[in-house]
Amino acid sequence: MSDRVLTASAALAEALIEEMTRDERIFILGEDLTAHAGIFGQFKGIPERFPGRILDTPISETCIAGCGVGAALTGMRPIVDFHFSDFVTCGMDELCNQAAKIRYMFGGQVKLPLVVWCPDGAGLRAAAQHSQSLEAWFVHTPGLKVVVPSEPADVKGLMKASIRDDNPVMFFQHKRLFRREGPVPEDPEFLIPLGRAAVKREGRDVTLFTYGSGYFLCQEAAAELARGGIEAEIVDLRTLKPLDFETVAASLRKTFRAVVVHEACLTGGFGAELVARIQAELFDFLDAPVLRVAAKDVPIPFSPPLEDFVLPRAADVVAAARSVCNR
Amino acid sequence: MRPIAAPGERRLMAKEKERKDDRPVEKTVWRAMYRTMVKIRLFETMAGEYFAAGQIPGFIHLSIGQEGSSVGVCSCLRPDDYVATTHRGHGHMIAKGADVRRMTAELFGKATGYCKGKGGSMHIADFSIGILGANGVVAGGLPLIVGAGLSIKLRRTDQVAVVFFGDGAANRGPVHEAMNLAAIWKLPVLFVIENNQYASTTPQSYSCAIGDLCMRAAAYNMPGYGVDGNDVLAVREATRKAVADARAGEGPSLIENKTYRVRGHFEGDPQKYRDPSEVQRWQAENDPIRRFEEYLRRRGVLTAKKIRRIEEEIRAELDAAVAFAKESPFPRPEEALEDLFA
Amino acid sequence: MAIEIAVPKLGLTMEEAVLVAWKAAPGARVRQEEIVLVLETDKVTFEMPSPGEGLLHPLVAAGSRIAVGEVVGYLAVDEAELARLAAEKPAAAVRLEAAAAARPTAAAATPPAPPSGRIKASPAARAIARAHGLELAGIAGSGPGGRIVRADVLRALEQPRPAPTAPAPAAAAGGPVLTALEEIPITGVRRAIFRNMHASLSTQAQITLHTEAAAEALLRLRQKRKEAGAPVSYNALFVQAIARALRRHPRINASVEGETIRVWREIHVGVAMDFGKGLLVPKVRHADAKTLEEIEAELQRLAEAGRAGRLTLDELSLGTFTLTNLGAWGIDRFTPIVNPPESAILGVGRIEEKPVAVAGEVRIEARTTLSLTFDHRIIDGAAGAAFLQTVCRFVEEPALML
Repeated sequence: MSDRVLTASAALAEALIEEMTRDERIFILGEDLTAHAGIFGQFKGIPERFPGRILDTPISETCIAGCGVGAALTGMRPIVDFHFSDFVTCGMDELCNQAAKIRYMFGGQVKLPLVVWCPDGAGLRAAAQHSQSLEAWFVHTPGLKVVVPSEPADVKGLMKASIRDDNPVMFFQHKRLFRREGPVPEDPEFLIPLGRAAVKREGRDVTLFTYGSGYFLCQEAAAELARGGIEAEIVDLRTLKPLDFETVAASLRKTFRAVVVHEACLTGGFGAELVARIQAELFDFLDAPVLRVAAKDVPIPFSPPLEDFVLPRAADVVAAARSVCNR
Repeated sequence: MRPIAAPGERRLMAKEKERKDDRPVEKTVWRAMYRTMVKIRLFETMAGEYFAAGQIPGFIHLSIGQEGSSVGVCSCLRPDDYVATTHRGHGHMIAKGADVRRMTAELFGKATGYCKGKGGSMHIADFSIGILGANGVVAGGLPLIVGAGLSIKLRRTDQVAVVFFGDGAANRGPVHEAMNLAAIWKLPVLFVIENNQYASTTPQSYSCAIGDLCMRAAAYNMPGYGVDGNDVLAVREATRKAVADARAGEGPSLIENKTYRVRGHFEGDPQKYRDPSEVQRWQAENDPIRRFEEYLRRRGVLTAKKIRRIEEEIRAELDAAVAFAKESPFPRPEEALEDLFA
Repeated sequence: MAIEIAVPKLGLTMEEAVLVAWKAAPGARVRQEEIVLVLETDKVTFEMPSPGEGLLHPLVAAGSRIAVGEVVGYLAVDEAELARLAAEKPAAAVRLEAAAAARPTAAAATPPAPPSGRIKASPAARAIARAHGLELAGIAGSGPGGRIVRADVLRALEQPRPAPTAPAPAAAAGGPVLTALEEIPITGVRRAIFRNMHASLSTQAQITLHTEAAAEALLRLRQKRKEAGAPVSYNALFVQAIARALRRHPRINASVEGETIRVWREIHVGVAMDFGKGLLVPKVRHADAKTLEEIEAELQRLAEAGRAGRLTLDELSLGTFTLTNLGAWGIDRFTPIVNPPESAILGVGRIEEKPVAVAGEVRIEARTTLSLTFDHRIIDGAAGAAFLQTVCRFVEEPALML
């Protein structure tokens, strides 16, 4: 089957429609979903197609998250829309103390097929409480899977795999990328298994490890680096937990140099985890320290020059890659 | 519209003899209820002893004195109904039909326990009989039970989802979100507050602006029942109405079972926050098991001899449970890495 | 008053050191904190700053062993004191050979300073240099701050370094008797082999046992696989025979580390392969757990990688046993040398039809020779023989190991 060009938003809707058609137990729960098919229009076509299976809730993030957990425990396969990923703080107990732990603490008695859809990311001048990238919090919570797609095809393949997974999955999709287009397979069985990274650009000099919006920074940076004779390999991690460390290792064994790129702020970010594993498990394959490119350690500010200054740019990736290549 | 926090339902601390003896005798059910209450009491007494002897790790919270609430509510439930319980959940587990052998083994941290030693007293579940688990987070069960209620509604079954929580939990934010959501969607949910007068060390009179927590039901346009929680039949009566409403699609109810926590917050609690005479008075005048026992004898349902036999049988069952737990192996340390993901 | 130069204690356990070099000539003026000498202990090389200023009067020659606290020289205030010291601290206080060296003229030219302190090199550079037995000291680093990176080591491996010692000049003087056609520096893979082979024979007590095995079944099996469209190599069959035999004789699958025999849990069988740049021994990992097909596929992959020069360090290190097969070269039998730190190696000769006496009759049969060399320090003759017998049985009846 051929790949059409779709926006990330349309890819998400397609994944949901296909899965909801396939499995009646799937439903969507969240705030302001039916009036405009989600506040970003991300559920286009679903309210009409699946009345009663996309449910508007009051503004009750705690209860929405818990409700997803309870429904998942009792035979349903809920998808919880968190409105803005920033609001996960209001459902933190339900996500981290309940969803993440229930299967384990009850000795594996039960499955918990829950997808928590979190639109995240900055760049929309939405300021500190509507712009965060919080994936690292959940990577740090055993029992949750963490998925951060970049391109539209990834959105579709990963969402379908997340829905079919029998575990709680935190699915972070970048708000600024909803309108970005890309080829998306038509195949209703197009799934990207969780825990599989993709080498999206081959190169021999340095690997850029990234995910989500960072991928597009790396793409831009790689083009610029190529003009200067540095061939960067781009590994889109796609799933942070479980992490495809084999692909990480294979790439590093080839390039011996790495830069980790993410939009989330630097300190305690996923880059720290990845760099720690690289130095521990791939020490003999390092030709230079591994650098990180990330947002600065402040909340995301409102005013455009401020926000642009805080967020990582392609030029930062170029500089870091050049630095580890000593060129 | 439905009645809101119907005050007529409240029979606070009512003495049995003050009531008219007009209810029809449900001999088999009452005997079974009595047996379950005794089983909970003896199970928890046993747990307290082994905990004190250092054979149960961690910490345990006992519900001695609150058996009327757990048994009264669960006597109206079917095996496929859901129950979410709390850190003080042994009684709810047993009342819903859990196996005391696997419960005991879990308390001892053994591989044969309900959760293979990963949960302990505070986290026991038996999904096969609808117990969605004991929750270590106060009020943690409420959002979950709303989800279970939604699931029932979406699956179009006539199950009911019940959450037990305490007067302490009643003051947490999720309670509001959960009750509101259950009410607007008319979910088949029962919110059961076990008002045992203390949230850990804090008296309910201090921590809540109103005395009767069942009044909260008015805010969510759902029926609220204030019940003498130590009168097991009163609890049963209120629950029966609430469950019938839920099954009929009439939406959620709130039941406040006024009861008393005879033991400390946890075993070993020095309890400096209350006068020992208060505890003694409740035990002497208001023990739910003794009250039910007297009632059953008066109504000719049980004799002293039968009561003795019930106790003996339960003691034997618990002795076997303890032996089973003691003989069972501990989990292998590496099992700590299992059961994280399906 | 002259200043004493005494050996400091560097670290808790140090008792003595070697005075590697003086950094100033006798009689030269040394300033305070200027490096005056280089010490080497079993752990570190230490450039010792001068304890004061003065004219150097060394007592101990470079290359001497010295105890902690020992006075190895003086710093004289002036020429007069220097002269007095030379007279007062005569050879008596100094070891004989040291005394000679200490004379002003003897060691006039300071020997070239050996590399001292930590060499900056990336972990990847260190790993590859280690694998090829290459010293980092002589390599120029192209990384930041002169850090040696992987590419620098690879360059050094490819471009033969000048021989460390000057070629014999004697030949030029008296007319050549022997002249080198080619001078090949021992570097890279050759250097690794050079060291390994010597280390092998100089540390282990090696003994070789030979035996002949009937190869009829082996030939038949190969034929059958070929017809089935899934051909297998002799080496794959030998690797499997070895791996299965090692499982029955685990003590052969061992290394000596210090005073301990390490019997390995994993069985990684290396196969000697020659790609024209010196012998390489890529490993078939967990060969005992692999099927014949998997071993064959792995050998093919390794051979391809070897031809393309893409074998990684991972694929070349940490084996537990080696197979070397010279059958293709028409060799009947040979005594292979163990590839340390392994303790045994199997050599396989060519398969040849030979007359054999069976039940009083002479028959012509395909046979091959198996030669097992092992470290007799840790493997007794009987144990080695038993292992070889098992291998032999598997070769003769491959069905036994399938």
